Amino acid sequence: MSITILLVEDNEMNRDMLSRRLERKGYRVVAAHDGGHGHALAHSENPDLILMDMSLPVMNGWEVTRLLKADPATRHIPIIALTAHALATDKVKAIEAGCDDYDTKPVDFGRLQEKINSALGEKKPS
Amino acid sequence: MKLTNLSIKAKLMIITMLTSSVALVLLSVSYLGYDLISFRHLLGEDLATQAEIIGYNSAAAMAFKDATSATAALSALKAKEDIVAAVLYSPSGKIFAQYTRPNVSHPDLPTDILQDNASRFRGKYLEVFRKVSLNGDPVGTLLLQSDMSQWSLRARSYATFLLLFMLGSVFLALLLASRLQNLISRPILRLEDTMRVVSTKKNYEVRALKFYDDEIGRLIDGFNTMLAEIQQGDSALQNANDQLQSRTHELEGEITHRKKAQEELLSAKRAAEDASRAKSAFLANMSHELRTPLNAIIGYSEMIQEEIQESGRIQNVQDVQKIESAGKHLLALINDVLDLSKIEAGKMALHVESFEPAAMVQELVATLQPAIAKNSNRIELQLSDDLGMMRSDITKTRQILANLLSNAAKFTDHGRISLNVDRTEADGQQCIRFRVRDTGIGISAEQQQNLFKEFAQADVSIARKYGGTGLGLAISHRFSQLMGGHMSVESEPGEGSLFTVVLPAQISAEDSAAPAAKVEKDQPFAAPKAKDPAETILVIDDDPVVRDLMSRFLGKMGFDVVAATSGEQGLALARRIRPAVITLDVVMPGIDGWGVLKSLKADPQLSGIPVIMVTIVDNEIASANLGASAHLVKPIDRDRLADLIERCRGPYASSNEEAVTAGVQRSQDKIKRTKRRDSQPFRSN
Repeated sequence: MSITILLVEDNEMNRDMLSRRLERKGYRVVAAHDGGHGHALAHSENPDLILMDMSLPVMNGWEVTRLLKADPATRHIPIIALTAHALATDKVKAIEAGCDDYDTKPVDFGRLQEKINSALGEKKPS
Repeated sequence: MKLTNLSIKAKLMIITMLTSSVALVLLSVSYLGYDLISFRHLLGEDLATQAEIIGYNSAAAMAFKDATSATAALSALKAKEDIVAAVLYSPSGKIFAQYTRPNVSHPDLPTDILQDNASRFRGKYLEVFRKVSLNGDPVGTLLLQSDMSQWSLRARSYATFLLLFMLGSVFLALLLASRLQNLISRPILRLEDTMRVVSTKKNYEVRALKFYDDEIGRLIDGFNTMLAEIQQGDSALQNANDQLQSRTHELEGEITHRKKAQEELLSAKRAAEDASRAKSAFLANMSHELRTPLNAIIGYSEMIQEEIQESGRIQNVQDVQKIESAGKHLLALINDVLDLSKIEAGKMALHVESFEPAAMVQELVATLQPAIAKNSNRIELQLSDDLGMMRSDITKTRQILANLLSNAAKFTDHGRISLNVDRTEADGQQCIRFRVRDTGIGISAEQQQNLFKEFAQADVSIARKYGGTGLGLAISHRFSQLMGGHMSVESEPGEGSLFTVVLPAQISAEDSAAPAAKVEKDQPFAAPKAKDPAETILVIDDDPVVRDLMSRFLGKMGFDVVAATSGEQGLALARRIRPAVITLDVVMPGIDGWGVLKSLKADPQLSGIPVIMVTIVDNEIASANLGASAHLVKPIDRDRLADLIERCRGPYASSNEEAVTAGVQRSQDKIKRTKRRDSQPFRSN
């Protein structure tokens, strides 16, 4: 069974690049372009992991994370925050909102992959 | 008015008049007295002569008892106005003949008769007795009585004359005195006038007029000399005063000028600060904006590399790699600029945590090994045994060392790089000293001057040859200062370089060189995530806040947390659930932490569970004596707690067979986690 990653990212290039690279690693990627869309997909697609940009239109990443972590249906999904600002406050806010881990943009793919593996635990992409 | 207070003019007049009048009066009185006495004497003699004549003329008539002749002889005295009466006494004393001045009706005749030729004053009369004798025989006695009217008249007229003379003299004296006293009084009065002018008008230019060369003249001379001196002093004072005033004026001008300059400087400073803030904000925004497209560039080039490698068209890989490395260089530059702008804006925060410098350095060197080996360099690591723990910003410390080591690797070819870490003391505080030595190209003295300055790479050609942003050393230098330490360099061209970084072992807010640096003690995202689920930790604490905090934190680490609110409950729970680790508070109602610890260690089934004392009581010895595995003083340092739990679990877990693999897995995870943090040495947090 393939592992589904929900990528919530508003920047088209980053979304495209990240989803293609994840797909190359064997993950199934569903992408959302704003917070509301991401929230909807988290429910409909039931992903194994969510990569969440924090500065998103419509609903920002912190809000989406709070909603998902408050909902018993989605609480178990690990969320890795992608904080574009290299600012400590953004990371603190991400952890406080309920994110399980964070990574700073621009994404170092190798590092991100380790974090994804760590968050997924035993699950491995097919 | 008292005599002594009169004006000198009046005094002089009075003195003159008094002395001259007294002299005049004395003179006149003595002269009058003398004259009256001598005139009286003359009158007496005159009367005696007349008595002689009358006696002689009447002697025959007396002898012959011829009274008529005798009376006739006496009547001759009519011519003498001042003779009041004349009497001829018989030798028996009886009146023989008598003459009385016609206008006198009752003459006052004496009762006694002097026998000798004598004279006397009786009342207002002068009486002269004379013996009358004929041929030597006494025939009687003659009495002449005079009322001295002539003398009285003379005395009156003399007195009147003298009085008039005296009045005249006094008037004359007054006239003279009033004229002559001016000789003395005028200069004195003029002097007084001058003095008044001086004292009321403060005019020291006037001079007293000198009249004569006497004592007063000398007094005036003295006064004028004194005035001249005062005037001189006064003018000198005035001059000094004028000078002072002009100086004060100048100073006021200067002060105004300076104030203005200061205000200008202040406004310039504010403008500069505003500009600096704007610049920092701009840089922060710019670097963010630059990151997003770079993200895409690096990401796509990495992806293309993977795709190319898979498709086997190896020759194109290098081109894409160049794009990627250029992108990464640009990213490093942006990150460095962002770091610097944060430092300059005072927004660079310190994240203080406890760590072992030895472990940090070893991990770092392992990470950098490929970069060091690139130029066929060897690295030697020398760690002093007494390094112990360090409490500082590990990320920034690591960034400094990574920068120094990669610089050393970059500028050294087929050489030796050494990292020496020891403990030292500087300014009375414990410090950790890091020394990075290389055998590379070295740095000249001129280059050293600009070494720690921004955008001042030693040589333009170096940048071309070796790459780099030229900001690494500047940032490292600023980071060292930010953490309360310092950085220095010793080098000679061709002889290699030695960079020394000395950082306080214990950082405190005051140590920080940058006052704006915020020290953040909590770093929630640094918490390690436990790999193994379902390991239970029992938290025994009566404080609900502590229980909540510990539960959340340990929960994030992946542990199941069971909390007990008292010692009794804690002991019961420990027996039932057999937790992997127990954290234990000391001060609690009921059985306190020490009591709980004793009971735990006394129970053979529970004694193997590691206990971490988490308390405000700083008594590590008691903890150790009673068998606690570790002692942590509140407020809780999460990193330290995580570290202690990690350690406590190790030996306990390895005591049973199946936990060994888990333990190994954990330590591998730990390394991975650390590397994960290390892998962004030039990234600020």
